[in-house]
Amino acid sequence: MSSHNESILREPLMTGKDITYAKITDDILLPVENKPNKAWWIGFTVAVLGALLWVVSVSYTFWTGIGAWGLNKTVGWAWDITDFVWWVGIGHAGTLISAVLLIFRQNWRNSINRSAEAMTIFAVICAATYVVAHMGRPWLAYWIFPLPNQFGSLWVNFNSPLVWDAFAISTYFTVSLVFWYCGLLPDIATIRDRATGLKQKIYSVLSFGWNGSVKTWQRFEIVSLILAGISTPLVLSVHTIVSMDFATSVIPGWHTTIFPPYFVAGAIFSGFAMVQTLLLILRKVMNFENYITMFHIESMNIIIMTTGSIVGVAYLTELFIAMYSRSEYEMYAFENRMLGPYAWAYWSMMTCNVISPQLFWFKKIRTSIPISWILSIVVNIGMWFERFVIIVTSLHRDYLPSSWAMFYPTWTDVGIFVGSIGLFFTLFLLFLRFLPGIAIAEVKLLLKSSSLQHKTKLAQEGAFPAEQVEYFQESLEKYDSVTEEEIKELSVRK
Amino acid sequence: MDSNKKYWKGLEELNQTPAFVEGSKGEFAESIPVEDVLNEAGLSTKTPRRDFLKALGFGLGAVSLAACNRTPVHKAVPYLIKPEEVTPGIPNYYTSTFNGQSILVKTREGRPINVEPNPNAIGLNQGLDSTTAASVLDLYDESKLKQAQLKGQDVEWSKLDGEVVKALTAAASSGKQITIVSNTVNSPSTLAAIAAFATKFPTANHVQYDAVSYSGIIEANKASFGKAVVPSYNFDKANVIVSVAADFLGTWLAGEEHTQQYAKNRDYKSLKNGKMSRHVQFESGLSMTGTNADARIAIKPSEEGATLVALYNAITGQTLAGATANKKAQKGVALAAKELVNSKGAALVVAGSNDVNVQVLVNAINVALGAYGTIIDLDNYSKQYQGSDSSFQAFLAAAKGGQVGVAFFLNSNPVYDYFKADDVKAALKQIPFTLSFAQRADETASELTAIAPASTFLESWGDANPKEGLYSIVQPTINPVFQTRQAEQSLLTWAGNTTDMYNFVKNLWSTQILAGSTKNWDAVLQTGFEYKGAKAATAPAFTGNAAAAATAIEASSKAITGEFELKLYEPSALRDGRYANNAYLQELPDPVSKVTWDNYAALNPKDAEKLGLGEDGKVTVKANGVELELPVVQQPGQAQGTVSVAVGYGRTKVGKAGNEVGKNAFPFASIINGTVQGVAKATVAKASGTYQLAQTQTHHTIEGRNVIRETTFAKYLKDPNSEAGRFTDNHKTYDLWNKYEQPGHKWVMAIDLNACTGCGACIVACNVENNIPVVGRDEVRRRREMHWLRIDRYYTIEGKDQDLTKEKEIAKASAELDFEDITVVHQPMLCQHCGHAPCETVCPVLATVHSSEGLNHMAYNRCFGTRYCANNCPFKVRRFNWFAYWNDSRFDNYLNNEFTQLVLNPDVVTRSRGVMEKCSMCIQRIQGGKLKAKIENRKVKDGDIQMACQQACSANAIIFGDANDPESEVSKALRNERVYYVLEEINVQPGIGYMTKVRNTFEA
Repeated sequence: MSSHNESILREPLMTGKDITYAKITDDILLPVENKPNKAWWIGFTVAVLGALLWVVSVSYTFWTGIGAWGLNKTVGWAWDITDFVWWVGIGHAGTLISAVLLIFRQNWRNSINRSAEAMTIFAVICAATYVVAHMGRPWLAYWIFPLPNQFGSLWVNFNSPLVWDAFAISTYFTVSLVFWYCGLLPDIATIRDRATGLKQKIYSVLSFGWNGSVKTWQRFEIVSLILAGISTPLVLSVHTIVSMDFATSVIPGWHTTIFPPYFVAGAIFSGFAMVQTLLLILRKVMNFENYITMFHIESMNIIIMTTGSIVGVAYLTELFIAMYSRSEYEMYAFENRMLGPYAWAYWSMMTCNVISPQLFWFKKIRTSIPISWILSIVVNIGMWFERFVIIVTSLHRDYLPSSWAMFYPTWTDVGIFVGSIGLFFTLFLLFLRFLPGIAIAEVKLLLKSSSLQHKTKLAQEGAFPAEQVEYFQESLEKYDSVTEEEIKELSVRK
Repeated sequence: MDSNKKYWKGLEELNQTPAFVEGSKGEFAESIPVEDVLNEAGLSTKTPRRDFLKALGFGLGAVSLAACNRTPVHKAVPYLIKPEEVTPGIPNYYTSTFNGQSILVKTREGRPINVEPNPNAIGLNQGLDSTTAASVLDLYDESKLKQAQLKGQDVEWSKLDGEVVKALTAAASSGKQITIVSNTVNSPSTLAAIAAFATKFPTANHVQYDAVSYSGIIEANKASFGKAVVPSYNFDKANVIVSVAADFLGTWLAGEEHTQQYAKNRDYKSLKNGKMSRHVQFESGLSMTGTNADARIAIKPSEEGATLVALYNAITGQTLAGATANKKAQKGVALAAKELVNSKGAALVVAGSNDVNVQVLVNAINVALGAYGTIIDLDNYSKQYQGSDSSFQAFLAAAKGGQVGVAFFLNSNPVYDYFKADDVKAALKQIPFTLSFAQRADETASELTAIAPASTFLESWGDANPKEGLYSIVQPTINPVFQTRQAEQSLLTWAGNTTDMYNFVKNLWSTQILAGSTKNWDAVLQTGFEYKGAKAATAPAFTGNAAAAATAIEASSKAITGEFELKLYEPSALRDGRYANNAYLQELPDPVSKVTWDNYAALNPKDAEKLGLGEDGKVTVKANGVELELPVVQQPGQAQGTVSVAVGYGRTKVGKAGNEVGKNAFPFASIINGTVQGVAKATVAKASGTYQLAQTQTHHTIEGRNVIRETTFAKYLKDPNSEAGRFTDNHKTYDLWNKYEQPGHKWVMAIDLNACTGCGACIVACNVENNIPVVGRDEVRRRREMHWLRIDRYYTIEGKDQDLTKEKEIAKASAELDFEDITVVHQPMLCQHCGHAPCETVCPVLATVHSSEGLNHMAYNRCFGTRYCANNCPFKVRRFNWFAYWNDSRFDNYLNNEFTQLVLNPDVVTRSRGVMEKCSMCIQRIQGGKLKAKIENRKVKDGDIQMACQQACSANAIIFGDANDPESEVSKALRNERVYYVLEEINVQPGIGYMTKVRNTFEA
C-alpha cells in the first residue's frame, strides 16, 4: 500500500545511504543475532535487580498483608492504583500507534510500532500485577470473572467498574498481544531463515509456518487491518473504563463526568512520552538512527504537546466546574489539591504535564534529542503525580473531617513501584535481545517510497521542481542522521 | 393388574445358550484377574510404561490435591454429660455486679463473653460505662497470676495458708497491728469476712483509701452537716447545674448514674416537652462534662475556689474576701448566679476539688440554693467512695514506727498510685509479713512477702452496697480459671472459718439483708439486687463556716498559683490505672482528645506556641519536685497557663498490654489541707525530640459542613425544626436502580446528638460484642483502628465576632484568639446502612449487598479486599483487616493466645486478613431476636432486639428499631422535627437519623 512514489514535500521516514532490503534486515537483526553488548548487560543487570526488588516487595506484601503498605482507613488506595493507572496509561501509545495510525495510513508508524506495542504489552503486564497485588486476598483474584462455580449462586456485580476494568484490561491485553504477535510473524520467519541449529527450530515454531507466499502476505495484511479495527475502540474504551473507577464514585474529586476523555488524552500523552523515552535510547544504542528519524521524534513530540494541552484544558475545566458547581465538598476538594498538604504534588503535576509540553511549540526544543528525552521523562513523572493527586488528595479529605488523614508510603510501596519499572525494563530488554525492535517487514515498505535514498534518486533524476527540492533540503536540516553532503547531493542532477 | 411380561436382554437369554448360563452365574460378565495380580507372579511382573505413567499421574495429582489445603485441626469435644442449664448455642444470663452496678453476664457454653446492664435494676438500669463493658476481658487476661506466690515463688495454697497463719499468730501474740489496706469496700460480705477475721485477730484494722480520693467531700460533709458521707446526687431534678471542675458525667463519683439523670433533662423527649436544663462548667482542662456544657468558662485550678467564693457572694449577697478577679469567670459567675437563684430548689452546684474548704463552701452554696433533700441526698448516700487519706497516712506512720506486724492489700496498689511511692516502700520494709490479694504481681504485690491472687468478680460470690439501702449480688459465672481464691475466702480460711463463700454470702443475705423482705435468696439471684426503698431525704442544718473556708481557700490557692498550674485528672477508660491491662480500654480514644495508648500534657495552643512547640512536641513538666517528660496535646478549651495530665498510665507491672504505656502522673499529687490533691504549681519547658501520639481523629473542626447541625434552645422553642435543614422533604430524589420493597422489617436507628455525651462506652460494647480486634498504638498512629463505631468530636472556636469552624479561618484569626472559649459536639458515627449504598454498587464480587430489611450486609467470605467500598464510603466507616490481627505476633496485645480468645462472641466470626468489615447492626442480635419470636410464635416486639451500642448507652442517645412499625420507639424518634440525615444531599439515603444538637446558651 505504500509502494508508490511519495511527494518530495514529505519528509523522509528513512535516511541513510545504500540501504537495501538486506541491509535493513542486517541492521535490525544485529542485536538479535549477535552477543549482547556491554550496554545491554549493564541495563539488564540493573533492570533485573529492580525486578528482584519487585519480587521481594510483592512477596513481603503477600506474606504479611496489605498492611505492609502505607494505606489507612481513609486512604484505601494510593501508590497501588496510582501505579496501576500509570502503567495502563503508558500502554495506550502502543495501540494507538499500531491500530489508529494504521487505519489512518500514517506509515511513519512502521518504524516505531513494534517497540511501542511491546511496551504496551509489558506495561499492561505491570499494571495487571497491581490488580492482583492490591487485593486483600489475592489468591481469590479469579473471582473477578463471572466463572460458573459451585459456591452457590455467586456471581460478579456487573454494576461495579472494577468488573468492567477486569474485562477492559484483559481484552486489551489479549488483543494487543495477538496484534503484536501477528505483526511479528514475518520477522520471526526472517530470523528463522537466517538462523541455524536450535535457534532455527525455536523460531521455526514461533513463526507458525510462515512461508512468505503472496497468499500469506495478503492474509497478513487483512488480519492486521481487522485487528486494527478491533483495537481502535479499545484505545478509547480501556482508559475510559479505568477512569470510571473514579468517575462513578461519590467522592469529590473523583465524581467527575470529564474523566473519560481526560483520562484517554492523559494516557496517550504518557504513552507517547514513554515511547519517546525508550526509542531515543534504542535508536542510539542499537544504531537505528536511519530508521527512527528526527521526523518520528518530532511527530511524537507534537502529539505529546497536543495531548498535554488537552490534559491541561481538562485540569482547568475541573477547577472551573468545581467552582461553578458551588458544591462545598467539590470546591474544597480542589482547593485542597491546590493549597492543602499535597499541594506540592498538585503543582508538580501542573508543571510537568501542562507547562513542560508547551516547550514543544519551539522547533529547536522538539528537535533536540536530549531535551526531548528529558521532557519525556518529566511528562511521565507528571502523569504519575496526576494519578497520585486524583487518588490520594481526593480520598484523604472527603466528606467527614473527622476521618481526614494523611498517606505516607512505606518501603514496600516504593519497592513495588520501583520494582515494577525494573520488571518492565527486564521484559523490554529481553524483547530487544530476542525479537526485532523494529518491524522489519513493515519498514522495508518505506524503502522504495519514503526513504531519503529513494527521494534523492528521484530528485537527481529531476522528478521534482527545484523549489520543492529546496524545501525538502531545508526540512532535512533538523535530521541528525543526515549529513550536509547528503543534503547537497539532492540538488545534483544526474 | 399384574403383568407376567418378561423382558429378555438378548437372544442369548431367550435361548438360554450354555455360554450365557455359564456367564450369568458370576457377578461380573468377565472374571476379574484379581488372582493374577495378587499372586507372586503378578506382583513381580514389570510395570508397563503406561501403568507407570498412570500411577505417576494419579499419585502426583492426589498428592498435589492433598497438599493444596492443610486442614487445621479443630477439636470440638461434645459434653459427655450435658449440664442441665447449658444448651450449646443458647446464652445463659446471670445477674452480677460490677463497680456497684447491677449487670447481666452473658455466658455461652459456660464462659462469660459479655456484660449487659440489668434492665430491672434500680438506679443504674440503663447503660454501662466503658470499664464495665470491657470488664469481661480481664477474666481472660494471661498476665494474671495462675497460682499463689510466696517470696516470688509459686506455692500451693496450703503452704501459703500455713505461712500466713504463722505470721498472723506471731503478730497477734506480740500485739502488733494487722492491717487490711483496701480501696473502698462497700460489699457487706467482704466487710463481714473482715469482721470475722478481726474477731479472730483482734489487732486487725481496716484502712480504706482510694487512689483518686474523695475524702475532701466526706470531711466537708462531716464539718457542714455532721455526716461523714458522700451524698447521692439527683441531676435529673436540677434545672440549672453549675460545675466547678467536676467531671460529673465522666469520672466524678458516679458518672454513669449522673449521665442517666442528666440526659433526662436534655434528650429528645425532654425537649419535646419544652424542657432543657442549663449547664455551666468552670474548669481548666477540657473534660468530657465540659464538652457537654451549655456555657464553659476556662479557669485555672487556683481560681476554682475563688470562683466559688464569687458564686457564693452573688447568691447569698455576702461579700466574702477572695472572690475571683478573672473577668471571664466574673461574667460567668454573674450569669450563673442569676440562673441558680431563679431556679432555687432546682439548682445545683458541684465542685471536683478534693479540698475540704472548697467542698464546705459548695455545701454552703447548695444550702442557700435549697438543693439538699431533693437534688443532694445525704440520707440515701453513696457508698462508692469511703476512702480516707488521713487513715492511710496514719497506717504509713504506724508501719514506719514498726507497729504493724502484718499488712494485707486488697484491691490496693499504693506503690503505684500513692504519690510518695518511696514512703510506701519504706513503710513496707518495716512490716514483717505483707501480702496482696492482687490478681497479678503488680507494683505493690511484687514488693510483698506473698500474693494470694483473688478471683475476678466473674468467678466469685459476693455483693455490693453502692448506696444506702441498695444491695446487689455478685455470683460466679465460671469456675476459677486459675488456682485463685477470692480474698474473702482467704480471710475466712485464715481466721479458721471453714464456711465456703457461697454459704457465707447466702447466710449473710438470708439473715441480714433479706430479713423482713418478701424476696428469698433464689429471687435475689434472679433479680440481682435488693432495694430497701429510699429513706425520706431531709435538708440538714448547715453547721459549717463559709467565711473561714473562703479565707482558707484564698491561702491554699495562692500556694498553687504559678506560671503554670498543673491539674491531674482521672481518665474515663483506665481510671486510676486499675484497667491498664485491658486492651479494649487502652484503645478506647479519650472522649475529648481522641488519644489512645498514652497520656500526655494538655496545653492551650497559645501556650504551646509560646513554648515553641510544633506538631508532636514534648514538654518537661515539673511540679512538687517531680519531673516528667510528656508528649503534648494542643487542647482547645484548656485554660491558658495550665497543664492537665491524666493519672492511671505508666504502669510497670500490670501485663503485656499495659506495661510502660504513658507515664505515671500520681507522683505529682500532694497533701494539701490533709487530703491528697492533684493540683500544683508547675513549670513547663520544651523538651527535645518529638513523639507522635496515636489519635483516632486528627482534624478537629467541622469546616462549616452541615454534617453537624445545631441550634439553641431558644430557637428550638420557637421552631422545633430550627437548623435541622431537612432536604428530603422538599427535594426530589432520583433512583437509578429498581426500588425494592421492604415488607417485613426495616431496621433503622436514631441518634440524639443532644443526649450523647461522647463517653465511648458504646465503642467498647461494640468491640466486645463483635470481636473487633485491638490493633495497638502503632497501627492507630497509621490510622488503622478497627472500631466499627466511633465518636467524632468537633470543636468550634468562639472568635470575636463569629464562631469559627474552618481550619483556615482559625489560622487567620489565630492571633486574636485565646483558644479558651470553645463549643464541642460529639457525633457517634457508624455504618449508616444507606438505602443507596455507594459501597454496594462498586463491589466487584457482591460481597456487600442490601438486605430486604434495609441493612447493608457484608459477606466476609466473598470479600477479596479491593477496598473500593471503603474508598467510596462517604462516612468512612468501613474497616479493612490490614493484617491477620488474630494470629500475628506483632499484635500481641491480648488475643494471640487460645485462652484469651475464649472471650470471643461465638455468634460473630473473626475476620481474616484482607477482608473488609463494618457495623453489621448487630445482625446476630437481630437474628436471635427474630428466632426467639418465631419460637414463641409471635411477632418481634419493639425493644426485643437491642444493639450492643444502644444497650451500653446510659444517655439513651441511640434508638434502634423497626421503621415499618409506626409505633416503635425509633419511628417516633425519627418523626421528631430535629431529625436530619448526614449527607442526605448526595442521595445515599442513610438509615440513621441524627437529631440536631441543641444548646441552652445564655445569649439566645
